[in-house]
Amino acid sequence: EKNITLDSATRIELSCRLDSKYSHLKSLRVTWKRGNETIRHINKTENSWSIQLMILDNSKLGSYSCVLQGEEEISAVFHLQVPKIEGKEKPIISYEGDTVVMTCKSFDYAPIAWTWYVTNGSEQIAINDSLLADKYVINRISANVTHLKILKVTKEDDGVYWCEAAFELGKSIGKLKLKVLSLMVPLKPFLAIVAEVVIIVTMVFLYEMYSKKKEKRAEYEKEFDQVEQL
Amino acid sequence: PPTNAGQAPGPPDGGWGWAVVFGAFISIGFAYAFPKGLAIFFKEIQDFFGTSYSEIAWVSSIMLATTYGAGPISSILVNRYGSRPVVMFGGLLCGIGMVSAAFCTSILQLYICVGFITGFGLALNLQPSVIMIGKYFLKRRPIANGLAMAGSPVMLCTLAPLNQFLFDNFGWRGSFLILGAILLNCCVAGALFRPIGAATASVKTQVTEKGTDALKEEVTGDAVEMSTLTDVPLKDKMEDEEEKDCCEKINQYLDFSLFKHRGFLIYLIGNVLMFLGFFAPIVFLAPYAKHIGIDEYSAAFLLSILAIVDMIARPTTGIIANSKWVRPRIQYFFSFAITFNGTCHLLCPLASGYTGLVIYSIFFGLAFGMVCAMLFETLMDLVGAARFTSAVGLVTIAECCTILLGPPIGGTLIDTFGDYKYMFIKCGAVMVLAGTFLFIMNYYNYHMLAKEEKERKSKEEHPTSVRTENEGRNNWNKETAQNGPELEPLREEQEGLKKEVNGT
Repeated sequence: EKNITLDSATRIELSCRLDSKYSHLKSLRVTWKRGNETIRHINKTENSWSIQLMILDNSKLGSYSCVLQGEEEISAVFHLQVPKIEGKEKPIISYEGDTVVMTCKSFDYAPIAWTWYVTNGSEQIAINDSLLADKYVINRISANVTHLKILKVTKEDDGVYWCEAAFELGKSIGKLKLKVLSLMVPLKPFLAIVAEVVIIVTMVFLYEMYSKKKEKRAEYEKEFDQVEQL
Repeated sequence: PPTNAGQAPGPPDGGWGWAVVFGAFISIGFAYAFPKGLAIFFKEIQDFFGTSYSEIAWVSSIMLATTYGAGPISSILVNRYGSRPVVMFGGLLCGIGMVSAAFCTSILQLYICVGFITGFGLALNLQPSVIMIGKYFLKRRPIANGLAMAGSPVMLCTLAPLNQFLFDNFGWRGSFLILGAILLNCCVAGALFRPIGAATASVKTQVTEKGTDALKEEVTGDAVEMSTLTDVPLKDKMEDEEEKDCCEKINQYLDFSLFKHRGFLIYLIGNVLMFLGFFAPIVFLAPYAKHIGIDEYSAAFLLSILAIVDMIARPTTGIIANSKWVRPRIQYFFSFAITFNGTCHLLCPLASGYTGLVIYSIFFGLAFGMVCAMLFETLMDLVGAARFTSAVGLVTIAECCTILLGPPIGGTLIDTFGDYKYMFIKCGAVMVLAGTFLFIMNYYNYHMLAKEEKERKSKEEHPTSVRTENEGRNNWNKETAQNGPELEPLREEQEGLKKEVNGT
């Protein structure tokens, strides 16, 4: 199984080569398929069967398989796809009133355009940063990277965001999650740790005063004993 | 008859000392591991403020520079106020620095809050911790040093996943807030640093290295100090008994006369040289692994191996260094460790593939731990516990420059030649050179010390009655070699002296 990434219109040749260990098979019949559709014009050489494809638009992308029918059925699959977009698996944490920057990156291939979507309920709504300029800022940092900056984040901004990269041969999506917290959330562990520090420090000092008193008492008793001896 | 509680006027070498070691473990751990642990947040902060990677890296550099550069200030404060208040104040500063960093709105504010304030707080933690170990331990000092220095890799291994967890759950602002609270635990370490008067009582700062020693044997001072664990630092009492000369006054706060101390100079030059090649390999190990085709997680795992071996190596080195064969010649052991470290780096380019790098990481971790465990122990051994306070401050500010220069020089070498091996060769060569230099110079130093000891013995009336920690090695030689019999006559001599003085 092989994944092939294409970002622009191109001519491509896919070939299936039979491994020498199968050369004992007779009556070989190879078919190239895409889904249910069979492809003709197979170029055959001694041990390989290949097809030539002109990929001009999205409809030509997909999974192409070569199937060898004989005593056994052997197949190989090629997946022709648009480049993948990387979002973020873990949620991005931000706080109310703060700014948050979300990044989407495309590997190796530069998209023609980027679009950002926010999920409202079950639909995806495109973010228009010129319309809501004091809320959203979309920056294309480099050819492969886009930033969505959300200003003055509120609890309603919490949710799933999509960044869509448009390529010549189709679109590709990356998913990001935004989580908005209030300042109380980290404050609780903070106060807990501060309390722990104060308690331990107090205990250490109390123990020290206690052991000093014990020592002084021991000294006085020694003096007492010595005076008595005299 | 006098009512003196103090029997042995020396460091406890145990008891509350172990609590101090634990406190030092925490302090040193935070001081060394915290700047490295922050790297996890950098990518997010870089995107947030829209800066380049090098601008973010400055945060780490400023923090490191402040931690080392503020050494002398730390020493002065310890000389004046004692270790405990300084460490607690340092912990407070760290906490304040990180909490204010959580509310920063620009990269410049981050430089100040995280870089300067927290860095300064960490500096106020690092120096006093090491100084306290010198005050509480003598016979078992190498072990104590090794255990305390083990705090660095342990903290790093704890902080790295902790920082990741905090970041995933609270974002970078929440994490900084909580890290500020965690840094307040340095105050706990400070609380454990109970002031002690014993070790410094027997030595006066005015003793110089060369031939004639003006030993002020103020044993009355000793007796009074020993019986009470006062909070007042010893220097205040000594001020009454000494002449207030201008130079002496400055020397009380920061002992510049150390620059005439032969051992100190040797240590300074050797270490400054060594640090040029010390940290760069760690910084570039993961990038080098990725460069030769290893995936990101395995590359990170190499650093984990290094940290784990380091963790075990430090206390082990402490125990070895404490043994009666090594302790008298500890400077040689230190030189050997540095040379071993350098050889590892020189051999690294020969390592091929992941297995080779794993072996390199193991040996590097071992060598790194050995050097770190003895870093302060050897300085203490050369200058003695009393002058150590000033010595460590002066040494850290000198090392500050080379520590900061090391990785960038390595980076430039990599960029110029496009190959990592020149960086490893440079680091290895520098460290082998430093190790050899230290070895030769310490051989000379030991030789001179033995000569001076002989001269002093022939001049004095009382044979070796008071410990001169300046020439500590010779006395400790005898004590550590033959514990029982030697110690008794020493104690009796001191008791005798005390009774004499108190009688008059």
